[in-house]
Amino acid sequence: MNAPPRVLVAGLPDSLASLLARQLRGASVESAADARALHSALAAGGWSLLVAGDALPGGCARDLLRRGESHPPTLLCLSRGPAGAPAAAELEAMGVARVFFHPLDLQELVRQATALLRREENGAAAGADDLGGAVRQAWERFRGTILQRVDAVEEAAVAVLDGGLDEERRRHAEREAHKLAGSVGTFGFAQASRVAREVEIILQGSQPLGQAEALRLTDLVVALRRELDRPAAPEPAASTRDPAPVMDEGAPGRPPPPLLLLVDVDADLAERLVMEAAGRGMRARVVAGVAEARALAAGEHPAVVLLDLSADREGHGRELIADFSARTPRIPVVVVSARDSFTDRVEVARMGGLGFLQKPVSPAAVCDALQGVLKRERPRDACVLVVDDDPVVLAEAARLLGAGGVKVKTLSDPYRLWQALEEHAPEVVVLDVDMPLVNGIELCRVMRNDPRWSSTPVVFLTSSTGAETVQKVFAAGADDFVAKPIVGPELVTRITNRLERVQLHRALADTDPLTGVANRRRSEELMGQLLHLAARQGQPLSLAVIDLDHFKQVNDLHGHGVGDEVLRRVARMLERFFRAEDVVARWGGEEFVVAMYGMDRDDGVQRIAELLEVMRGEPFEPGSEDPFTVTFSAGVAQFPMDGAELGTLYRAADAALYQAKEAGRDRVLPTGWTGEQGGAAEHVDVLVVEDDHTLARLLLHALDTRGYRSRWIEDGREAAEALTGSRPRLRARVVLMDVDLPGMDGHALLRTLARERVLERTRVIVLTVRSHESEVVQALDEGAFDHVAKPFSVPILLQRVRRAMRA
Amino acid sequence: MSDASVSGARTVFLDSRARQHEFTRMTRRVLIVDDEDDIREVAQMSLEMVAGWEVIPARSGDEGVRLAAESRPDAILLDVMMPGMDGPATASLLRERPETADIPVILLTAKVQPADRRRLESLGVAGVLAKPFDPMELANQVSSLLGWPA
Repeated sequence: MNAPPRVLVAGLPDSLASLLARQLRGASVESAADARALHSALAAGGWSLLVAGDALPGGCARDLLRRGESHPPTLLCLSRGPAGAPAAAELEAMGVARVFFHPLDLQELVRQATALLRREENGAAAGADDLGGAVRQAWERFRGTILQRVDAVEEAAVAVLDGGLDEERRRHAEREAHKLAGSVGTFGFAQASRVAREVEIILQGSQPLGQAEALRLTDLVVALRRELDRPAAPEPAASTRDPAPVMDEGAPGRPPPPLLLLVDVDADLAERLVMEAAGRGMRARVVAGVAEARALAAGEHPAVVLLDLSADREGHGRELIADFSARTPRIPVVVVSARDSFTDRVEVARMGGLGFLQKPVSPAAVCDALQGVLKRERPRDACVLVVDDDPVVLAEAARLLGAGGVKVKTLSDPYRLWQALEEHAPEVVVLDVDMPLVNGIELCRVMRNDPRWSSTPVVFLTSSTGAETVQKVFAAGADDFVAKPIVGPELVTRITNRLERVQLHRALADTDPLTGVANRRRSEELMGQLLHLAARQGQPLSLAVIDLDHFKQVNDLHGHGVGDEVLRRVARMLERFFRAEDVVARWGGEEFVVAMYGMDRDDGVQRIAELLEVMRGEPFEPGSEDPFTVTFSAGVAQFPMDGAELGTLYRAADAALYQAKEAGRDRVLPTGWTGEQGGAAEHVDVLVVEDDHTLARLLLHALDTRGYRSRWIEDGREAAEALTGSRPRLRARVVLMDVDLPGMDGHALLRTLARERVLERTRVIVLTVRSHESEVVQALDEGAFDHVAKPFSVPILLQRVRRAMRA
Repeated sequence: MSDASVSGARTVFLDSRARQHEFTRMTRRVLIVDDEDDIREVAQMSLEMVAGWEVIPARSGDEGVRLAAESRPDAILLDVMMPGMDGPATASLLRERPETADIPVILLTAKVQPADRRRLESLGVAGVLAKPFDPMELANQVSSLLGWPA
């Protein structure tokens, strides 16, 4: 232990200095009587802690601190009163650790002083910040080890694909996944932790794993790598537990986990769903029949309903969708069905159903979809912060509000309000008027002075509803007040009112004000979710970028008012034209983007083209002298062929849009389109020629996530056409090709590529069947660079791809 | 400038030796037993930097039992899943030995099933903490399980 820590007391009574000297064991306490003394003491330095009152003879402690006077961790004691309370931002700028108001809570003051000294003693004045950096450094050091765990999981997935995961490797992979789940969250990768947890659950037990599990595992491995590949741990806080023990969570008031209602779901899927849901912190109830579902919903509002329509012959299920969707608050319904017809999907959407899943579907995929719906229903969990020194009131408030599905944070220490506000960014704050040492009105006034919290609704709890109190409450900037003792419905109603207004504001922030469709920010979130869903469910998704033709002329010739009307009408058409599960958004001036779930590129082009047809036939300003029509150009890209991420998909669709504009506007083009002129050849790293969709998807996944530009063609003849000719539309450094292909088999394709001298710049790796040795010899004779036998392991194949590229 | 210019300064120097001892005792000493280097190191950093505790790391149950007897920590954080002697086995060995019997033990586990947690909680430990933990909060969680003042 070095010299004793030195504590400086300024602008406070001697009795306080003596108290600190008695209580802060091992510290030396000195006091400065006036501003000048404080200034010189600070200049001399060597202090571990400053405890300062505001009023000093000859100046104000806050002025010194505000001037940026360098000072040790500081506890500032202020007198009460409106002028006395600094805004949070000001406190932060002054570098004050805590503020106390007179009359002082001496016990708390000593406690804080002790804590700060202890930190100083350990050379970690800014412990929190330093820890973040230290954790990031530790992550850099351990990243390699942790990624090896991911490798172990990947090897297991490959072994399952190969049909041979032995017990020992399975248990090893399970252990590694368990360790990942328990560790990466600590480094700030909470999502990766959840993904690893899912891997662990799949590997648990001893039931044999099939191809579906193998693909799910490879998906999860890819997701793990993507999550862990981010530059560094974003936020060190990532606990799955309640992040803030500062908050007295009020255990009895903790809202129950969301209830998931499974209606008519077959026993096998239902059982697995119940487990999956439990793993994700949801409760699931299984009911048979629509009547039972209604009865249960009358008791407790389910967060979301999964309805199986496979056996719904009499249409009761459809009625249930309409019924639940029409309620306020509505009960979101997602449909699962063994049949998949376009009309079913449309009908479900029209009834108000929020999603459509086709069987067979994994429990994980169902839960993803349900959680997606929940997220959309409540874009951000509404959070209410209740501040009261009385634990009974806190528990009661938490219980009442929690039952209404609102996330409630309670706080019994009003001095931690700033911290709590920053941590939870609550939508509504409930403040007790009378608390010892600090009153709610004062806190409210301080909140109102901080731009970040100046518009957060504040509702007061008050035991006195006298005119004077009410007037004071509103004068301080409160939005509403509720009399104590709390009577259930009143508090809930008033809070809900406030929440609805906040959410309305949020909705406004999510939509494009001119057209009412989603704005770019919001749609990027939604499209991201759709892409995720498509990846999980192995569904295609197409993305269209639509740009109005010669829109500037509309504005110039007809005025901006008419221009705005055109944009509004196009938006309405788009909304009418696309289903609830599609996302329609305006991304810029006259540019709209549409994500179509479950549609491949050709379907997408077809639908956008139909829309264009309608547009052509609907003139604007029809009654005027000068009616006119507006057309658009559009490009359509498909997930996953044209990109696995929204960014790459958008660029691919945008490139096709550019082609459409170049080719004369008023048209819709898919990616990879070659007009008569033939665009410049597209260069990719790897072309996959494979008619097995599952395998192709797996390969593209693996290539994409390793940064290779890749492209997939199913048909041998199509591949030959793309790669050859005087102006080939595609140039690939490596071609991975199956031998058995529709259109033209692999051998013929190889011979064509050799004849057309494509092999001079492109290396071909042939995917063969292990038993067919003659096939291998023949392929190599025909000019193949390498061959890999099926079934293969992804890491090995990728190593061969790398070798072919380097060669 | 020296202290002399602090006008009206009233310096209270305390009886250094006796007080010093008490001050040192205020620093908690915690033993962390975990075979995973990454987690052990982050936990150590976290407790040292956030709470200012003294941390003694151990890589296995055996090492943990030895260091617990040697250093008499105020608490032991014990990972559940370790090769060789696992967390529960280590905990029961610690309880059998008189020199470590009354040191509170907290288990760290990545198991999420309520049944698993209940089983662990029934082992006579002071508490069970979930992995992954938040490094910012670990010290708080330990303090609140053990009833230590923040």
